[in-house]
Amino acid sequence: MIKVMTDAAATILIVEDDAVIRRLVGDVLRNEGFVVEAAEDAVEMDAILAKTRPELVILDVMLPGEDGLSICRRLYAQERCPILILSAKSDEIDRVAGLETGADDYLVKPFGPRELIARVRAMLRRGARIPAPIVRRFSVGTLTVDLDARQVLDQRNEPVILTSTEFDLLACFIHRPRRVLTRDQIGKWTRGRVPDPLDRSIDMIVSRLRRKLDRASPGANLISTVRNGGYLLTAHVTPAC
Amino acid sequence: MHLPSAVRIGLVVVLSVTIVWIGTVALFFMSTSGVIRNNRPLPKQIVALVTLLEQAAPAERELILRAVTSQYMTARLAPGNHVGITPKQERVPRISARIVDQYLAALGGRPNSVTVRREPDGKGGLGFTFATPVDLEIRVQLATGDTLIVDSLRYPVVSLFGVPVGFVAGLTGAVLGLIALFALQREVAFNRLQVRLSHLVRARIAMIGGISHDVRTFLTRLRLRVDRIPDEEERDRAAADIADMIRLLDDAVLASRAGARELAQELVDFAQVVLAEVDDRRAAGKPVELQAADVPKGNTTVLGDRLALRRVISNLFDNALIYGKVARVSIKSDSQSVTLLVDDEGPGIPPDQREQILEPFVRIEDSRSRRTGGAGLGLAVARSLVEAQDGTISITQAPSGGARFAVRLPLFVAS
Repeated sequence: MIKVMTDAAATILIVEDDAVIRRLVGDVLRNEGFVVEAAEDAVEMDAILAKTRPELVILDVMLPGEDGLSICRRLYAQERCPILILSAKSDEIDRVAGLETGADDYLVKPFGPRELIARVRAMLRRGARIPAPIVRRFSVGTLTVDLDARQVLDQRNEPVILTSTEFDLLACFIHRPRRVLTRDQIGKWTRGRVPDPLDRSIDMIVSRLRRKLDRASPGANLISTVRNGGYLLTAHVTPAC
Repeated sequence: MHLPSAVRIGLVVVLSVTIVWIGTVALFFMSTSGVIRNNRPLPKQIVALVTLLEQAAPAERELILRAVTSQYMTARLAPGNHVGITPKQERVPRISARIVDQYLAALGGRPNSVTVRREPDGKGGLGFTFATPVDLEIRVQLATGDTLIVDSLRYPVVSLFGVPVGFVAGLTGAVLGLIALFALQREVAFNRLQVRLSHLVRARIAMIGGISHDVRTFLTRLRLRVDRIPDEEERDRAAADIADMIRLLDDAVLASRAGARELAQELVDFAQVVLAEVDDRRAAGKPVELQAADVPKGNTTVLGDRLALRRVISNLFDNALIYGKVARVSIKSDSQSVTLLVDDEGPGIPPDQREQILEPFVRIEDSRSRRTGGAGLGLAVARSLVEAQDGTISITQAPSGGARFAVRLPLFVAS
């Protein structure tokens, strides 16, 4: 069998907890002439990364211990190699391809060997990417939100003054735009606990934030109430430079 | 009946406030009637009256009688003996007569009787002798030969069905109080039930999710191994079988989440999702037709689950392609809703089978379904997903004579 020799020396690291899939994917890649390193979790992966620098990381999302998305964010900050995510659920794709993860491509399980090889080759051809800084500044309607500076600017670049809790809430909406968030979810994400059923404090913060945003961009109706007790950010969130 | 918990709690509060109010009114009435009950002519008063009347000159008797007559008591004299018999079975007259007797004994005793005063028409009287005052008529035979007749009148309370309003209010209050207590207790029990149910549903979804994850792991291994099958046709068939299994699994997971109202709610441009699905099918070489004119220019944003919507569209396309050779797609929108129409060129579906075909495990024609396989879950899943997103799915006849599936979803309105 004739191998494509250009990729032959490339080292690929697989992080996958299922031993059989790890071996099968390893076999497929080795057959194509790649050098394969395998790890079953984040700890093993770190040990391997201390010794070698792979050209590509194939990363399972559902891992025991540190999960795939968290590893992905970490690798993105440290390494320059592209990351291919393996996801068991197709509804996770949105999250994977979403903001802040830093994955370059994804495959939904189950996948065929040829599909895997095609993706891997395409990614290696694109090569080591120039790491774009993770975007932390967003356009929300006519507003600009900087998550690091914790600042909101309106159309005329005037700051919109928000309290710390209001900003946390806005950040929570920005990370999940155009999606209905229940009171429980908002409580879990902004305070780390599900609020008591009679606790109206989240509704009060939402309505305060809503008033301020309505003043800053009149008529945009950025935060909308949905029946059955949820709120959503109606605007598209796009990275801002 | 399912009311939002805020409404239920509000009802309980309103009920409780009403009860407190009624209770207060009842208390007022009860305390007033308590005073009145004590206003019944005291036996001492009767004894004094008897003594006075017996000692007074006949001319003064009329004056004395007038002096004691009040709103609560009238006294008159009748010549001759008119003492009646105290009824033994009526409690109030019996007790009153005994007390009057005891006091009259100080005077050496006088024949007397105590009866409940009847209205001329026979109404009134009796009633609630224990809780409320009744009109009593006390007759005493005087030494002068006359009979003293004293009518002890109850306080003229406003009465409802012969029972004082205070009593009615008190009783209503008590009953409402009990109802409120019961409602509150039910409310607590209902909440507990809801919590338990939602735990159960979550546990089931988690279990189906767990099974789905594990099956997917096995299928991933299988899919990787399938490529070692030497025969290409066999290999492709095996890969297609695995893809079908995954689709079934995804449908089951989605349907279980839809049944538990656990689908995601996000703003989705419905027309774009349809277009993406059409493009996918066309890229795979399937006869899916969509004219640019059949896509509305305006807003087609709905609040729904993107993945579930894709499954619905995909299932309708599959159905049209399998049973009707071709899928003709169009999208229509009005101010309130957006509608997806999928027409095919099959034989159509008879009106009496249209409802049935949307039920699980129903296939129209056994021979055909055996050829195409599957348990007939696709349309049932589509229906449960559409209905979980407040939409409707219906079957009519396409202009070409084939079947027309229509999915109608409400447009998102910001509020």
